[in-house]
Amino acid sequence: MRFQDAARDARTVVYAGVQADPLVARAAELLAEARPAQRILARAVMNGESTAAEGWQDAFPTLFGAAAAEPGSAERARSEAILGMALAVAGRGDQSRSQLRGAIVEALTERLLVGRVGTEAVRRERRILFDGVAAEIHPYDVTVERPGAAEAYDCKWGARGINADVVHQLDDARRHAAEEGERLLPVLVVFDARRSCEVRLARLTAPREGLRLVSLETLDRLAGRRPETVPA
Amino acid sequence: MAATIPELMERATDALITLAKTAEPLDDEQQYVRDLVTVWSARLRTVGVARAADPGRAELDTAVEWLAGEAGRIADPHRAIDWLSTFPQAVLVAVGEDAL
Repeated sequence: MRFQDAARDARTVVYAGVQADPLVARAAELLAEARPAQRILARAVMNGESTAAEGWQDAFPTLFGAAAAEPGSAERARSEAILGMALAVAGRGDQSRSQLRGAIVEALTERLLVGRVGTEAVRRERRILFDGVAAEIHPYDVTVERPGAAEAYDCKWGARGINADVVHQLDDARRHAAEEGERLLPVLVVFDARRSCEVRLARLTAPREGLRLVSLETLDRLAGRRPETVPA
Repeated sequence: MAATIPELMERATDALITLAKTAEPLDDEQQYVRDLVTVWSARLRTVGVARAADPGRAELDTAVEWLAGEAGRIADPHRAIDWLSTFPQAVLVAVGEDAL
């Protein structure tokens, strides 16, 4: 088993531009330290129609209401920063918003993983090659490349992005690694509710042996942290 | 007078139905849409039953009404599917419930 940079085709060139948008890095930075309720706020705003902050503040009283953290506190400042960031994403056109959201999940996944395994081991847009096996066309969004403990990540904005092809590709990688005596952990990271992800997965017949699901509520596990309950 | 938690959960369930109707043009996703409505309606109603004795609070009333209004503003069927998952979690956070 070996890892290789994805080919520099038109898709990767365009996507590199999306990933380089400062808003992506800002979102990943904020969401990496966010509580689950703040991540749900971010998802709602980035999925929503309304672009006025006041309505969203009304909609999340546990973050902005009478019982929320004091105005001026670090916790309140983070909620406000996340709301501002999410509104900036929502303010882009539909196509741009969609690309940014996908890039944000990948950047967030990378950032959280670096917190657990360090910068050197975490790579983006990599293919995994096995002897005698045709290479997959699509690279993995994020990989952890450590001897004896490799991990391959496919990142999705929503549960609807889960499909048989994605699950098959992750399972194929796990199986081929095992055939070579290597261990590869396949992980699906979805910035959506676990309940919705499970509904989506339940209708698929693709093999899920060994597949790990990380949902919006359990993102902190990527960093080796215990997830909070929502709200905490 | 503020709505009770069971009333708010019924309001949220109605909004889920509205979102499902908005998503109707996506023929290939109707099973997923039905599944989402089923599991999230059940979750919301469970909260309503568990907190049947809770007095209403204007802040929660405002939050759920605003979120239900946002669900109604969703016109794009693709976005409606995203909201079928996002909306119930936001409602649960609004009323101080575990959003799982």
